[in-house]
Amino acid sequence: MRHFLVLFALSYLGASLSVWGFSWFVPWFLLPDVPFLAIVFAGLFVPGIAGFLCAVPPALFREIATSAPSWSMFLGSMALYFASREVGRRFLLRAEPSLLTAVASLLAAESLSVVLLLSLYGARPFSFLWGAQEAVRIAWTSLIAVPLFLDLSVRWRRVKE
Amino acid sequence: MGTFIRNWWRLLVAVGLLASAIQVFVRPSTALERAEPVRAAGVALFRPFYTAVDLLHGGFSGVWNRYVALVGVSRENERLRKEVAELREQIHETRDAVLENRRLKELLNYSRTVERRTLGARVVGHDVSPWFRAIYLGTGSEAGIETGMSVVTPYGALGRIHKVHPGLSEVLLVTDGRFAADVMVERSRVRAIAEGVGGNFCRLKYVSPAHDVGVGDRIVFSGFDGSMPKGVLLGTVVSVDRPKENLFQKVKVQCAVNFQDVEEAMVILSRPSVPFRAGKD
Repeated sequence: MRHFLVLFALSYLGASLSVWGFSWFVPWFLLPDVPFLAIVFAGLFVPGIAGFLCAVPPALFREIATSAPSWSMFLGSMALYFASREVGRRFLLRAEPSLLTAVASLLAAESLSVVLLLSLYGARPFSFLWGAQEAVRIAWTSLIAVPLFLDLSVRWRRVKE
Repeated sequence: MGTFIRNWWRLLVAVGLLASAIQVFVRPSTALERAEPVRAAGVALFRPFYTAVDLLHGGFSGVWNRYVALVGVSRENERLRKEVAELREQIHETRDAVLENRRLKELLNYSRTVERRTLGARVVGHDVSPWFRAIYLGTGSEAGIETGMSVVTPYGALGRIHKVHPGLSEVLLVTDGRFAADVMVERSRVRAIAEGVGGNFCRLKYVSPAHDVGVGDRIVFSGFDGSMPKGVLLGTVVSVDRPKENLFQKVKVQCAVNFQDVEEAMVILSRPSVPFRAGKD
């Protein structure tokens, strides 16, 4: 329940502040995707059905706050949850570099798949500048993820003990 | 086989969900419309937040404008007599209201020129995802807004309604890669298809090298495809490239509206004559 409430609050606040608040004056590539981080955290660190339940609200928030066709973002986000669970199971993610690599890879994989899909769709709204901005977003979001994930996981381990 | 599935079921589920997401992206499903109440509930969760931010934004911009105005008045005081400065201060204090009034009046005048029923709405947020270009209006289905309706400002076109919820509408901007509409060059009446390319730009497709298009030409919607009202300004041509090996010219258009600064917009409350499919314009 604690996991659920914390991740729900974090993703709600993150999505709200980004979409309705900071988007007026901060460029998109400097706004971290907090619901994305909540989903990946649930996949990596919250075991069992609790992790799945923790991932549902952030996925719904991404669905609302992104102008993708209806429900595609939700399904994509749930796919991201299962992929991050697999990553969490196969690799030891206690060290900072491995955590950074895992989050950056998941962000890059998601971005590449949407770009590929949009390109197949016939839309080409991507330029070199966009690529550079997206690289900044991925790096920035991953860098935020590492201390956040380590701090949250250590706190919860302490509470458990 | 059983061991393989037991070992890798998470990845298999991820692949399955990804395949479903791609399917929904390419071919939006009507069956998923039954799940709309879930999304509406999600939007309702955000409503207090964006309403509060909208109020704060209005208040903050009012304070900011008054502050700037007061700085201006203090500078004026150095040069002008005291009584003139006091009068100016009074004028500047209402500057924000005057500006808002002027913007709304422009919207109203523009709505008179558009021979259709229109609705003014405030912009409450922007899509911050890297892949899509959209803004959110703080008015939704309760006001009669439907998907596919055109959204404009007195300066030019914004886009089309993409999704509607109670109290919130999502506008797919003309610069989004999925946006396409029939347009024409105002001066030479050459027709083309405008497509969003991100940033503040669109490109024109299928412009033959024989067609007369030049830098500085104004591009307006033709209205032939029924998706946007005829004569609404899209933007101005900023570059024309005529590669020898291509069949068509490469024409880049800078949109007339700066999407980051739009505060109010107008929804044209008439259904598009071409059926609109969310996500597939």
